Amino acid sequence: MQNFKNSKLFGFMILGAMVLFFYGLFKFLTPTNFGSPANLFSYFQSSIIYSVGGCGLYFIVVMGLFDFAVGANIVLSSIVGVILSEKLGYIGFIIGCLGCGTLIGILIGFLYNKLNVPSMIVTVGLMLVFESLAVFVAGGVKQTLAPELRFFSGAPGNIILAALAFALMWFILNYTRIGTYCNAIGSNEFTAKNMGIDVKKYKLIGFALLHFFVGIMAILTVSYGTTMTALTGMSTMSRNFQPLMGTFFGVAFRKYGNPISAIVIGEFIIAIIFNGFVALGAPTTIQNVVTGAALLIIVTLTARGSRGSVVK
Amino acid sequence: MSDKILLNAEHIDKQFGITHAVNDVSLTINAGEIRALIGENGSGKSTFCQMLCGIYTIGGGTFTLDGKVVNVKNQVEANNLGISIIVQEMGTLSGLSVAENIFLGHEEPFMRGLIKDTRAMIREAQRLLDEYGFKNIRAGAMIDNYNFEDRKLVEIVKATYMKPKILIVDETTTALSQNGRLELYKIMDAVRADGRSVIFISHDLGEVLEHCDTISILRDGEYIDTVKSSDVDEDSLKRLMVGRDIGTAYYRTDYGKEISGEVVLSVNGVTIPGQIEDVNFELHRGEILGFGGLSECGMHEVGKAVFGASWDRQGSVKLADGTEITSIPQAIKHSIAYASKDRDNESIILNESIRNNTVLPSLDDLAEAHILKAGKLNKFAQEFVDKMQTKMQHIHQFVSELSGGNKQKVVLARWLGKGSDILVLDSPTRGIDVKVKQAIYALMSELTAQGKSIVMISEEIPELLGMSDRILIMKDGRINGEFARSESLSEEDLIAKMV
Amino acid sequence: MANNKDTKPSKISEILASDTFKGLLPFIGLVVILAVMYWLTNGRIMQPKRLRLLLSQVYYPMIVAVGVFFLMTLGSIDFTEGSTLGVASIVVSVLSFYNIPLAIIGGILTGAAIGAINGFFHVKFRLQSFIVTICTMYLFRGVCAYLTTETAIPASAAIKALDSDGLKIGITVGVLAVAFFLFKFTRIGNDVKAVGSGETAARFSGVRTDRVKFFAFVAAGALTGLAAFVNVIKVGSITATAGNQLETQILISLVLGGLPITGGAKVRFSNIIVGTLMYTVLNNGLVMLGFESATQQLIKGIVFLIFVALTIDRKALKVIK
Repeated sequence: MQNFKNSKLFGFMILGAMVLFFYGLFKFLTPTNFGSPANLFSYFQSSIIYSVGGCGLYFIVVMGLFDFAVGANIVLSSIVGVILSEKLGYIGFIIGCLGCGTLIGILIGFLYNKLNVPSMIVTVGLMLVFESLAVFVAGGVKQTLAPELRFFSGAPGNIILAALAFALMWFILNYTRIGTYCNAIGSNEFTAKNMGIDVKKYKLIGFALLHFFVGIMAILTVSYGTTMTALTGMSTMSRNFQPLMGTFFGVAFRKYGNPISAIVIGEFIIAIIFNGFVALGAPTTIQNVVTGAALLIIVTLTARGSRGSVVK
Repeated sequence: MSDKILLNAEHIDKQFGITHAVNDVSLTINAGEIRALIGENGSGKSTFCQMLCGIYTIGGGTFTLDGKVVNVKNQVEANNLGISIIVQEMGTLSGLSVAENIFLGHEEPFMRGLIKDTRAMIREAQRLLDEYGFKNIRAGAMIDNYNFEDRKLVEIVKATYMKPKILIVDETTTALSQNGRLELYKIMDAVRADGRSVIFISHDLGEVLEHCDTISILRDGEYIDTVKSSDVDEDSLKRLMVGRDIGTAYYRTDYGKEISGEVVLSVNGVTIPGQIEDVNFELHRGEILGFGGLSECGMHEVGKAVFGASWDRQGSVKLADGTEITSIPQAIKHSIAYASKDRDNESIILNESIRNNTVLPSLDDLAEAHILKAGKLNKFAQEFVDKMQTKMQHIHQFVSELSGGNKQKVVLARWLGKGSDILVLDSPTRGIDVKVKQAIYALMSELTAQGKSIVMISEEIPELLGMSDRILIMKDGRINGEFARSESLSEEDLIAKMV
Repeated sequence: MANNKDTKPSKISEILASDTFKGLLPFIGLVVILAVMYWLTNGRIMQPKRLRLLLSQVYYPMIVAVGVFFLMTLGSIDFTEGSTLGVASIVVSVLSFYNIPLAIIGGILTGAAIGAINGFFHVKFRLQSFIVTICTMYLFRGVCAYLTTETAIPASAAIKALDSDGLKIGITVGVLAVAFFLFKFTRIGNDVKAVGSGETAARFSGVRTDRVKFFAFVAAGALTGLAAFVNVIKVGSITATAGNQLETQILISLVLGGLPITGGAKVRFSNIIVGTLMYTVLNNGLVMLGFESATQQLIKGIVFLIFVALTIDRKALKVIK
C-alpha cells in the first residue's frame, strides 16, 4: 500500500494549509485592505505569469540544469513580439513572442550541447549576449504594446493563456516520453544514456520547451505591463528568480505526484505574502526582502537534504 | 544444455589507451546453459560483456547471436536483439514511477503516435510484477518509495520480462541480501530451463560453482579456459585465475593464538534506531574481531558507530582509558582508523592526488606551528604508499586513475601513516583482485603482531573464517552469535546464525 | 561507467586538452587581451592615468573574489556578494561619521553576519548554496533598497579623505597575501580542496566538513565587508544599486581566470588575480574603444563563452550539468 504521507492528497493539504496560513495571517493583521475576493483575484493574476515560467523551468531544473537567460529572453521575446505586432497584429505578437522564445531556447540548447560547458555558465554568457541583442532589436527605444492588442493584459485573456500553458505542461509530463526522460536524465545521466535515451536531444528539447514557456511568459508580461525597455548590465538577472521560486515548489512537491499544482499554488503564496506586506504599509522596496525571506523559509521547510548528504 | 551454439564470440578485442582490456577472446555459449565468467579485477570479463550489450563499442572481432551479428550502440538496441544486463550498482532511476522504470527506453508498445498511454503501461507493469511474485510493489508508485532490495527486484523484472536470449548478471549478487539472491537464482534457472542462456559474473567462487554449469576464466584480458563446474573446485579455479598456486599464504594458518586480556575498546548498548539494536562487545589488544551477517544485518553500521560516524547513536563507545568516541575527528585523534565498504565515496577522495589523500588525517601532526611544508608532506606520503607497494606513476597522480586494489592500498597507507592502533576495516577486500587481497591479509597479520587491533566487517564467510580471532554474527541489527577461531568451524555454523 | 566513445585525439587537440595548457591558458588570455587592447588603443591603455583608473576598478572585486574563490573551491556558489557589499557599504557609511576603525569593523561584521546566515542555512538544513544565496541575495538586495528608499546614504568626509592608491593597494595585496598563505601553507587549503573534491570521504578522513563550509561563508562575507570599506572611500555615497550584479562579475572573472566550476583539487590561486585583471582590462578596453554599452556587453559575452569552452576541464565534470 502506498503511504498516505506520499500521496497526492497529502501534498495538496500542505500547500492548502500554507495558503490558508498566510492568507489568515495578513487578513488578521490588515482586515480592511487585504484579501477581498477581488484582491485575491488580482494577486492570482500577477502570480500566474511567473507560474508559466516556473513550469518551463521545471523541465530544466529536474535534469539538474539551470538557465540564467530566462529573464533576458523574456525581454528579447516581448520586444520582438511587440515589433511584429505593429505590422501583423495579434498573429505577429503571438508568433513573435513564442517563435523568438523557442528559437532562443533551441540556440541555448544547441550551444550547451556543442560547447559542453555547465548550463549555469553558458547561460550567464548568453544572458549578456541576449541583453545586448534586445537593445539592438529595440533600437534603444521603449516598446509599447498597442492598446487594441491587450487581450492578454487581464482576465479572462491572461487566465485562458496561462491555463492553456498549464494544460500543455500536464499533458507533456504525463502523456509523452519527455517527462519520463527528463526525470531519468536528472536521476542518472549515465544510466539514462545506456537505456538508449538520446540525452543531448532531450536536453535540447528541455531548453526549447522552457523557452517556449518563456515566450508565453513574454506575452503575459508585456501585456500586463504594456511596455518593455531593453537594458544591459545584467539587469534581467532578477527576472530569472520569480519563476524559479515556483519551480522550487514544483521540485519539492514532485514526490507527491503533481508538480504543476505546486508551481501554481507556490507562486500564489509568494504573491499573497508580498501583497500582504504592501497592505501593511511597507514600501514596495521591501518586496525583495519579503520574497527572499519567504522563499528561504519555504525551501528550508520543503527542500532540505538529509543528514550526511552531500550538498554543494 | 543443448548442443546448439547460441552466442559465438570470435576474436573480441578492446583497448583503452595502453591497456589491452580484452585481448583476442573467442568463446561460445550454448543454448540452455549458465556460464560463469571469472577472473581477477582487470581481467576483462565486465568489459567483454559490456561490449556485448552496447555499453562499450566493440574494439575488434564479432559477436554472433543465434546466427546474427551483434554490434549495438546502447542497451536498448541490445535488449531488442535479446541481450539484457543486470548491473552491480543501482540500475533504477529515482523520480520515475516503477512502471516508467521497467519500460524505460521501451515505451514504443504504449505510444499512440506521440502520446503515451500511461494507464496501459502501468497495467502491464503490474501484471509483470504480479507474475514474478513481487506483488507488494505497485507499478504506479514512485520508485523512490521502495528500498534498495525492492528496486533491485524491479530491475530484475526490467531485464528479464522480454525473455532475453542472453541474460548477463554482472556482479549483482554482492549487492543483494540472501532473499534477493535466491530470487535471482530462481530466475536464472528459469532462463536455462527455457533453453536460453545466462552469463554470470561473480567474485564469489562458491556461488559460481553452485549455480553455473560451465565456467570461463579470463586473465589479463586473455581467454584461459572453459571448464565444467563439476570438474573443478575453488582451489583449481583460483589457480586458473592467477596462473599460479596461491598456496597457503592466502589466509592465516595459525590456530590457537592466545587473545590478550587487555581490552582496548568497549562498545556498550549501542543502538541506532532502525539499524542496530543494543550492540555490546569488547575489542582486545592484538586481535582481529570479525563481524559477519547478511548485508542488511547492521554490521556496516557498527563500523560507522565505532568510528563516531553515525547519526542518532545511543549507548557508548569507550577506549580503555574511558574516553568516549562521539565524532570522527575525535576517533581519529584517539587512534581509530576506518576503511569504508563504499570505498569511492567514503574512503577516497577520487579527484584528488594520492599525496593529499594520504596526508589528510595526519595534517595536524605534520604541521609545524600550523604551517605545512610541501616537502614534508611528499616525503610522508611517499613513505607510506611505498610501504603498501601501491602501483602508481607518482604521488601527485589522481586516485581516480588507480584500480580498486590500489585505491584500497592508498586508504591503508593513510592509516598506517597516522599510526592508528584500532582499525575498523569494512569489507577490506571487496572487489579487489587476489594478489592485493593477499597483501592486505598479510598486512593485517603484521599489524596485529605489533599489538594493533582490527575490527573486520566482511560479507565473505571464508574471509571471516580465515582471518578472525573471534567472529560475531549479526542478524536483524543484533549480535546473534559468537565464535572463537577454530579449524573445525565451518561456513554452515556461521550461516546458521545469519539467517 | 565509461564513455561510449573511443577517442583517438589528434596532437593538437591533445595539447589543447592537456592540463598544462589549460593551466597556462588564462595567462595567455590575459596577455593576448592586453596586447589586443594595446594595439587597438594605440597604447593608450598603458598610459599611467589609464592604468590607475583600471587598477582602481580592480581592488574591491579582487578582495571579494578571494572569498568567492574559497567558496567555489568547496564546490559551492554564492550569489550574495553584490547585496552584501551594498548593505555593508551602508553600515560603513553610517558609522564613518563616528569613527573610522569602527566603520571598518562594522562593515566586516555585517558581511560576516550575512555570510553566517548563508552558511547556517546551507550547512544546517542541507540546502544547496545556490538556492540559499539566491534567497538571501533577494533579501539583502531588498534591505539595501529599503534603506536607500528616500535618498542615497552619504559617507563622512573623513572616510572619503582616505582615498589613496597606497591604501587600496595595501589592503588588496594584504588580503591576497594572507589568503595565499592560508591556502598554500595551512590545513585550511587542504581541507577546502578535500571538501570540494569529495565531501563524504573528507568527512571520513577527519575533516570537520560542516565547520569548514560554514566558516568559508563567514570569511567570504567578511571579505566582502572589507571590500565595502574600499568601495565607500572610492564612491562616497551609497545608492540602492551599490554592488549590483557584483556576483555575476566575480563569477565571470573567476571562470575567465580558469577556476574549475566544480571546485576541488584543480583550483589555482592565480585564478583570482588573472581572472579579475582580465575582466577589468576587457571592460576598460571596450570603454576606451568607444563602443556603446550594448556592444561592449555583446563582446564580453562572446569572449566569456569562447574562453570557457577552451579552458573548462570536462574530465572533472563527470556529467555536465
